[in-house]
Amino acid sequence: MELEQVLARLVNGARQVLQADAAAVLLLDEGGAHLTVAAVSGLPAAFRQRGPIAVEQSPLDGEALAGQPIIVADARTDPRAVNVPEGYRSLLCVPLMHEGDPIGTLHVYAIAQKRFGEEDAALLMGLADLGAAAIAATCALTALEALEASKAHFIRVVTHELRSPVTVAQSLVRSVRKGYAGELTDKQAEALDRISHRLDFMGRLVSDLLDLAAGKAPELTEKEGPVLLNASVGRAMLIFQPRAEEKGLDMTLQPCRDPLVVWGTEEGLDRIFANLVSNAVKYTPPGGTVTVSVRRVDDQARVEVADTGIGISEEAFPYLFEEFYRAPNAKALGEVGTGLGLTIVNDLMERYGGRIEVESTVEQGTTFIVTFPVYRWPEGGIG
Amino acid sequence: MTKILVIEDDPDMIEALRMPLEASGHELIAAATGEEGLQKVKEVAPDLIILDVMMETTTAGFQVSLQLRSPDPQSEYAAYRHIPILMLTAIHTTTSLRFGPDEAYLPVDDFVEKPIDPDVLLEKVHALIGRSQ
Repeated sequence: MELEQVLARLVNGARQVLQADAAAVLLLDEGGAHLTVAAVSGLPAAFRQRGPIAVEQSPLDGEALAGQPIIVADARTDPRAVNVPEGYRSLLCVPLMHEGDPIGTLHVYAIAQKRFGEEDAALLMGLADLGAAAIAATCALTALEALEASKAHFIRVVTHELRSPVTVAQSLVRSVRKGYAGELTDKQAEALDRISHRLDFMGRLVSDLLDLAAGKAPELTEKEGPVLLNASVGRAMLIFQPRAEEKGLDMTLQPCRDPLVVWGTEEGLDRIFANLVSNAVKYTPPGGTVTVSVRRVDDQARVEVADTGIGISEEAFPYLFEEFYRAPNAKALGEVGTGLGLTIVNDLMERYGGRIEVESTVEQGTTFIVTFPVYRWPEGGIG
Repeated sequence: MTKILVIEDDPDMIEALRMPLEASGHELIAAATGEEGLQKVKEVAPDLIILDVMMETTTAGFQVSLQLRSPDPQSEYAAYRHIPILMLTAIHTTTSLRFGPDEAYLPVDDFVEKPIDPDVLLEKVHALIGRSQ
C-alpha cells in the first residue's frame, strides 16, 4: 500500500472514531525540526498545502512529540494553540511514535469547545500507535522497492555501458584480424590474437557478473515454474557441439525416456547446463569424451556431466564454488574463464532446491552430478 | 555493386561492419538513428538493411523493422517491404536468445550476434542478397 493511502486511512479513521469534525497528520522531517501536513480530513486543501511548520514555533506539537497527548479545551484561550485551522475551538493532539522515536503528530479538531477528554486521548494514542507502525512499515517497503529498482537500473546500465564497448572492440579486432583491412604481418596477427583473447575474457566477465547479479535478484528473472529437463540439457549440448567437434571431442547425450519435469526457470536451467557442458568441453584435451546423461532415480532427476579432462585437484575442491576462483591447472590451460561459472551454477541449484556434487581425478576426468526433486503436478493436474 | 544500409548508433561498430562489407565489394551507407535509417531507405532503396536491435531506445530497432514491414498497402514503405533485414542482436549467449524472426512480432530475416564475426556476417549477407535477387 502506498504511504498516501495509509495516511488517508489513519486521518479518516481518527476523525470517525473520535467523532471529530476534522483531523490531520503531521510528519516530522529527517532533521526533526519541521513538521509537514501529510494528510487531512474535513479541512480545506489550503491547510494541507501549507509549508513546513517549525516545531519550535508550535508548542502544541512540541509537547506532543515529547510523548504526551495534549488536550486543548478552548483554542481561543490556550496559548499553545497556534496553527489551529480557523473555526475550531477544541482539539486533541497525540504523538506518532515508532520504536520510541516520534515521527509526527496526529490532530483531531472539533468546532465545539471542551469536546475531548482523557478517554478520547487514550483512544487516539492507541490509534496513533497503529498508524505509526503502518507508516514506518510503508516507508521501509518504499525504501526497499527503491533499492531494488536502483539495483535493477544498475544492472541495465552495466549491461549496456560495460558490455557494448567490449563487443564493439571485439568486432573491430575480428574484422582486422581476418584481413578485411589489409594483409597482416605475423607479428600484427599475433598481437591482435592477444588483444582478442583479453577482450573475450572481459566479455565473459561482464556476462558472468550480470548472470550472477541477476541470479541474486530473483525479481529480474522469469517466473519459476515446471521446466522440461531433457530440453534444457539438449539445448546446452547443441550450443557446445561445434566447439567439441573443433577440438575432436566425442560428445554424447543419454537422455531420459521420461519427460522429466523439475522446478525452476528455463533460463536458469539453461545457464546451469551451459556452464557445466562448457567446462567439460573446455577442460578436456582433444580426443577425449564428454558424456551427459539424464535419468530418474526415485523421486530425483539426476544429470551427470562426465568428461575425460584435466580433473580437479584435492586442493582446489573446497574453493570450486567460490567467486573468481580458478583451479591452477585450469588457469594453466589458457582457456578463457572468469571463475564465476560454477558460482552461478551453485547459486541456481540452491534456488531450485537441487544439489550439486563433483567427483574428479586429476588427469583422468571430472563428473558433475546435479540432482533436482522431480516436480509433482498438483492433484488433478496432468501426470 | 550492392548497397547495404547499416542502421546503427555506434560509429565504431559501423567501422567493424564496413571492413568486411567493403572488402567484399559492397557499398555501405550508414544511419545513426532509426529515423535517419527510415529516411535513407526511401532515398537509396538499399539491397539489404543491417539493423541494430538497440539504438536510442531499447525498442528502436524493433520499431524500424515493424514500420518497414507494415502490412498496410498505404504504408509509405510499401515499396521497400521486400528488402531483406539482418538484425544485430546484443544478446550475449544463444542460451538467452528468446526471440526469433516472426512476421508479426519481429519481422526480420536473420540475426547476427555481437560481437560480429566478419565471416558469419558475410555468409548471412550473401545468403539474404542471393535470396532476394
